[in-house]
Amino acid sequence: MTDLRDYEADIDRILTRLERAAPFADIMAQRVSGQGIRLDRRSTSPSTHPRLHGAALRAWAGSHWIEAASSDLSLPGLEVAADGIERALEKAIVRSDPPGPSAVTDAESMTDPPHPVSELGIEGMISLGKDVLGWATQVPSVRDAIVRVGWEDEERLYLNTAGARTYQRITRVTGTCVPLAFDGGRVEFDFLGEGGVGGMERLAFLTEAKVKETAECSRSLLAAKAPPTGAMNVILDPGVAGTFAHESFGHGTEADQFVRDRSYLKPILGQVVGPESLTIVDNGAYPGGWGTIYFDDEGNPGQRTLLVNKGRFVGALHDRETAQVLHARPTGNTRRSDFLSRPFVRMTNTYVEPGGWSLDDLVKEAKNGVLMERATSGIEDPLGGQMQLKVKRGRKIENGVLTDLVTSMALSGKVLDFLKGIRGVSTAEDFRIEPGYCGKGHSDVVPAGTGGAYLLSNAIVGPA
Amino acid sequence: MSASPSPSPVSYRVSDKLHLDAPWEVFGERARRYELHFNGRVVEVVRGPLVVEGYGIRVFRAHGDRTGTGFQASTDTSESGIATAAEEATQIAAHSDFPAKRLELPSTAPPTSGLDIVDSKLWEAPLPRLQEYIDGLLSPFDAIQDAVPSFGSVRATLTEASIANSAGLRVTYPHTTIALELAVKAFGGPEGMAPGEYWVNQQTRKIDPDDAGDSVPALCSYAQDARRAQAPPTGELPIVLPSHVLAGILPAVIGFRWTGGSRLRELAPAKGSVVAAPGLKVYDDGRFPWGPSSAPVDDEGVTTRKRALISGGAVDEILYDVLHAGAFDVPSTGNGLRGITFGNRDWLRFTHTPAPTSSTLVVEAGTDGTDAELAEIAGDGIWLQQLGWASPDPISGAFGGEIRIGYRIRNGKIAEPVRGGTIGGTVVAPPGTPSLLSSVAAIGSKARLVDDLSSPTLLVKTLTVGGESGGGST
Repeated sequence: MTDLRDYEADIDRILTRLERAAPFADIMAQRVSGQGIRLDRRSTSPSTHPRLHGAALRAWAGSHWIEAASSDLSLPGLEVAADGIERALEKAIVRSDPPGPSAVTDAESMTDPPHPVSELGIEGMISLGKDVLGWATQVPSVRDAIVRVGWEDEERLYLNTAGARTYQRITRVTGTCVPLAFDGGRVEFDFLGEGGVGGMERLAFLTEAKVKETAECSRSLLAAKAPPTGAMNVILDPGVAGTFAHESFGHGTEADQFVRDRSYLKPILGQVVGPESLTIVDNGAYPGGWGTIYFDDEGNPGQRTLLVNKGRFVGALHDRETAQVLHARPTGNTRRSDFLSRPFVRMTNTYVEPGGWSLDDLVKEAKNGVLMERATSGIEDPLGGQMQLKVKRGRKIENGVLTDLVTSMALSGKVLDFLKGIRGVSTAEDFRIEPGYCGKGHSDVVPAGTGGAYLLSNAIVGPA
Repeated sequence: MSASPSPSPVSYRVSDKLHLDAPWEVFGERARRYELHFNGRVVEVVRGPLVVEGYGIRVFRAHGDRTGTGFQASTDTSESGIATAAEEATQIAAHSDFPAKRLELPSTAPPTSGLDIVDSKLWEAPLPRLQEYIDGLLSPFDAIQDAVPSFGSVRATLTEASIANSAGLRVTYPHTTIALELAVKAFGGPEGMAPGEYWVNQQTRKIDPDDAGDSVPALCSYAQDARRAQAPPTGELPIVLPSHVLAGILPAVIGFRWTGGSRLRELAPAKGSVVAAPGLKVYDDGRFPWGPSSAPVDDEGVTTRKRALISGGAVDEILYDVLHAGAFDVPSTGNGLRGITFGNRDWLRFTHTPAPTSSTLVVEAGTDGTDAELAEIAGDGIWLQQLGWASPDPISGAFGGEIRIGYRIRNGKIAEPVRGGTIGGTVVAPPGTPSLLSSVAAIGSKARLVDDLSSPTLLVKTLTVGGESGGGST
């Protein structure tokens, strides 16, 4: 089979069967392919993406959803999953239609870059990786580097009993370089990485100058001091600002948390939460964004949703169920990690829109504190409203000037205090969206873009 | 594993259809997964069976004194699907280059029974057993006035793993894994006071409805304490780390650094170097009872066993898979494991190539007493009940994050709760540089298995705490 749509007739047959047993049913079929390479000084490891495909079947059982899945897309394979659903439906008392509006979208969309990375082939990716490795290890003390380049093609076909049919093929491309600097028993690294939906243009950032600059920073981190500790002014770099928008704020806007009564943001929808210069959005339709989707897994198109508009908290992210409970419309944010995972309300590309400051002016405004750079992780606290962000490195801010390089650190604080404390966001020149992966809790991982520009506020910081 | 007659293990069927002129290995899984998700006390989604049958083929090509390896995984068990996967693995091997001078694939396997890795009651009736477990988990809330279950899930996977290779190995074994998630919400008290939450995630190999709710009262009290907690002071303080916190810190760093992969890249500590307090003994045990990564053989078919990693504070053994063993001309230690770098390693292992890592990390219990006695030794410090996410950096060894809930220790007693602020440090550092391992001041007398770590509570002399006071001006 060359295309997921080749299985459509059998999938449609199974959907018709489920339609006889339940008031509503849908099927999401998925297939993934791709290639990548990983290089360091000792080894070259090319890889192909596992040939995984399968389908998730879902039916409304009157008070809850029933799901089954199969990694076998043949008719007999799908029938095994359908049997499971029908058995569960026999025990259900089906009195009502499913909550919320069913999508009726009928559309197809595919990533179609002028120069797909697949044209490089394994040899081309290895050649590019060797160039990057060579540039990085020219820097003294940088004895090795880990270089990764890869692409992934993901097809999703969605059909439901209300008539929706969406097909999408998304091509995600990523590249990273982690130069490793050694001094005695100490090892440090900085990293360079980008990713997005598209083709070769997504790898254009892997230049000799940028790789060497990153390697120099790895080397400098060997002598870097520990970060300052305590409550202080903080400037987040664009990637860290994006991690804040996603982890600290965005998770609280996923409306399933509203329905669970598990969001500190629920009671303040419509209120002012930050300065007028602050706008935060989730945008599944962002061109080329790492978290971009053409359609969600309930058949709704990806879209731009305002979460904070000029300082006011105005919107949440919805699936069909939360839309019904909260009298809203689905926002194209229902995502399954894969055909084996259940759908949840998820973010796509979440970012802080640029403001009007320059980084220099933000540093002067901060006067003392720390600039946090290179986001490594963050974690949500949707009910408690606390925040944790971690970075690989930073710079002290002393008397309005950036000074010493400092090592990895964590930021802690209350999100609403942090929002109120925002004093400025830098201009579109600094704006970027970084690639990442988001779990709903500790599993169900999906690609999610996070972005922004430099942002000044205050919080507690410490080494981590 | 289904109503139809059970076919032979996946890897055997695939290997019967392979026609390769180079050494090869097939790892297969046939899995059923069942999930119950609840919102409050109401089941919102019932999932299962989620059926997956898949395999990963690895092909090895010698290039002089080096080895190329190619891997492809697939769910297509048709003859053409297997041929395609094998062809792709062979093509990849031609471009791959690894400094393994020799390759020693296992040819025999030990008996696969006798290990505690299968929950037989769950295997027999998955969904009813999960429902019983949830009933047991939620029943204590009947007697609790000021806290409720917020949401949660139980996800059980029943897997038949199998391995076959060109050296003649054929081994298969069943195992169960369960991922548990529960969030507890506390409320009540003075009007306007925000609710508090305590959220736990855990991996295990068995569930017991009879003791499912035992920890619920404690979880509710943590959620309640989170509401009144204040940020800690800034400074260097003694910190008590219970096993469930250590489970998010130690395996990620030790399981990476104590391996042939790190040795190859000059990241492993030197054998005999002193990296920990003298009383600390750390093992890797691939057969640890009910360990989520325990198995009779590793994911390359090599027999698992117990290995000393740190003895008397000094580095002892290093862990190897087949390839890295070949690079250093040593035998594999049975630590070639397949998994993912983010999220639970509880299924779909066939989609990954093996890499050397720890299975269950075991910190041997000490003689310094109960948790209360460790707090007494600490005198003035912090009991860390939960970090936001320690997310350790295995290369630099740095770890840390936000305190989601902890307690001040004052005059040797657990005192008021703390929340917010940061705790961080370095797990392992070059000899002479302070680290978590070298600063262990007391080791509790009772170990507990949490995820991939069995450890007693540890008291660390000091870690850096970032709190309300100190720092730059705002």
